[in-house]
Amino acid sequence: MGTGSTRQAAMVAAPTPGPMIRAEGLGRRFGDFWAIRGLDFTLARGEVFGLLGPNGAGKTTTVRLLTALIAPSEGRAFVAGFDVSTSPEDARSRIGLLTEAPGLYERLSARQNLEFFGRLHGLTADVRADRIERLLRLFDLWDRRDALAATFSKGMKQKLAIARALLHEPSVLFFDEPTSGLDPEAAFIVREAIATLKATGRTIVLCTHNLDEAERLCDRVAFLRGEILRIDSPARLRTSAGTTTIVVTLADGIAPEILGGLRSQPGVLGIDGTGDEVRISVRDARRDTPPLVRALADAGVDVLGISATQATLESVYFDVMGARPPADGGSS
Amino acid sequence: MRPPIVAAVVVREWWELVRNRLLLFSVLLPPVILSAVPLISVKLAESAEGPPRIAVAQIVAGHPQWADMTPSQVVMAFLLQQFLMVFLILPGYIPLAIASYSIVGEKQTRSLEAVLATPIRTGEFLAGKAIAAIVPAVVAAWISYLIVLGLTALLLAPRLVPVLVEPAWLGAVFALGPAVGLVSVTAGLLVSSRVNDPRAAQQIGAVILLPIIAMMVVQTAGNFLLDLNAYLLAAAATLAVGIIGLRLGVIVFGRETILTRWK
Repeated sequence: MGTGSTRQAAMVAAPTPGPMIRAEGLGRRFGDFWAIRGLDFTLARGEVFGLLGPNGAGKTTTVRLLTALIAPSEGRAFVAGFDVSTSPEDARSRIGLLTEAPGLYERLSARQNLEFFGRLHGLTADVRADRIERLLRLFDLWDRRDALAATFSKGMKQKLAIARALLHEPSVLFFDEPTSGLDPEAAFIVREAIATLKATGRTIVLCTHNLDEAERLCDRVAFLRGEILRIDSPARLRTSAGTTTIVVTLADGIAPEILGGLRSQPGVLGIDGTGDEVRISVRDARRDTPPLVRALADAGVDVLGISATQATLESVYFDVMGARPPADGGSS
Repeated sequence: MRPPIVAAVVVREWWELVRNRLLLFSVLLPPVILSAVPLISVKLAESAEGPPRIAVAQIVAGHPQWADMTPSQVVMAFLLQQFLMVFLILPGYIPLAIASYSIVGEKQTRSLEAVLATPIRTGEFLAGKAIAAIVPAVVAAWISYLIVLGLTALLLAPRLVPVLVEPAWLGAVFALGPAVGLVSVTAGLLVSSRVNDPRAAQQIGAVILLPIIAMMVVQTAGNFLLDLNAYLLAAAATLAVGIIGLRLGVIVFGRETILTRWK
């Protein structure tokens, strides 16, 4: 996107080959409380990495550590080859940050918002003008370029905030809840933008509560709760979970003693019976389903239907976080 | 310190200032009022009955250069002189209003995290905000001064103009005024980085105006009059306090505190 300038070149030190992000025993303490600790991972160029976890899990603290906004209490982090502790300005010149709240200057127009950040990144007037037009057109905001940000919808504000994060063409992007609170259309546009950025080789760190979004966009995800509980690709996490839920729909419910009997069947990992539906977690659906059906028939239970749902990232998430996944469809 | 970065902050602050009606109102109204009050007061004094001879003689004794004035002009000159402090209050008050809104406004809109994630340094950020607040204040004070000067010649008496361009006045308006502005903006930045309400920041920061008001009261009471040297000395001391305060502000303005505690 556009050409660099002498001034920008002076502000941005040379890139360092290797992983785009490297965290080594990274941690941050507030008083006696460790918000996050023991972060060890590397991210390659072009990788989309999801940070998943409940509120207070340390996602935002992790982003702030990696964007050189706060200093680590222990460990080190490198972004685009720059140590965030010793070269924070160099690191910040290589990152684009979409904060949880868009944080726009609402009394400024869309163009003025971008103009300001372009100046902070040392872009020349020509480069600024070129990139601002290109980004505003990309996000369908060009016609509203001189409208105040205060008059924008939530989706438009989010798109403008993303444009702001992209203005200086950073090699690493941090998106904190990019689709939070957006309507489906705006969320779709944002997800498309992230996919496009991934295709252009940008490394992206995505904090989200939306597990479906993480599954669709991320090459790898980390489950956080004060530390990394699990880190892998969504596909491998689902496979490694190795569970399938068999959903049995009943005509007249089921007696507790029959449920107890099912629990003792080989391959059954857990049973959750609610009224006319029983959810049975098994290791191998192909192997474990027939004996369960036979046991139900032998007990005289009237079965209306049976379906099997594979483990989703959501169910893996709840397993890792220590809570049961909510009931959902997705039969196979 | 990189001037283009500081300039970017200044320009953005001014873009916001001109669109913030409440803030603009609080910046533009005081100069109008504080320029009008001296002129109206002096005009009223002129239209009043003749001043007591003893009082006029006492004033002239303290200001021999006014010996050629009429008794009425002597009284007007004396009154005008009491309003010199107005031109110190303006550069003290206006930056406080702008700076207080500036930081607290960023807290309220949560715009600061994105800014701090750029390569900007804390010193550049605060310097930009300080300049953006001081310049309008000093310009407003100087324009007010020139307006009062012109209207004095037009509406009161041309003979009174020399009173307003005495060296002490020039020292106060053009040296001490900007220095007071620096201290004011420093106070505004320091206080507003610790509170969440612009009005609270202004009220706390307004403490720095108390010495100016005290000076005004003491001068009006006739206890003493500062000369040029005193104003220049006060300007130098105030400037030093302002610079030290700004440096302190860079230390106090903790990026981490702002990001982790501002809600």
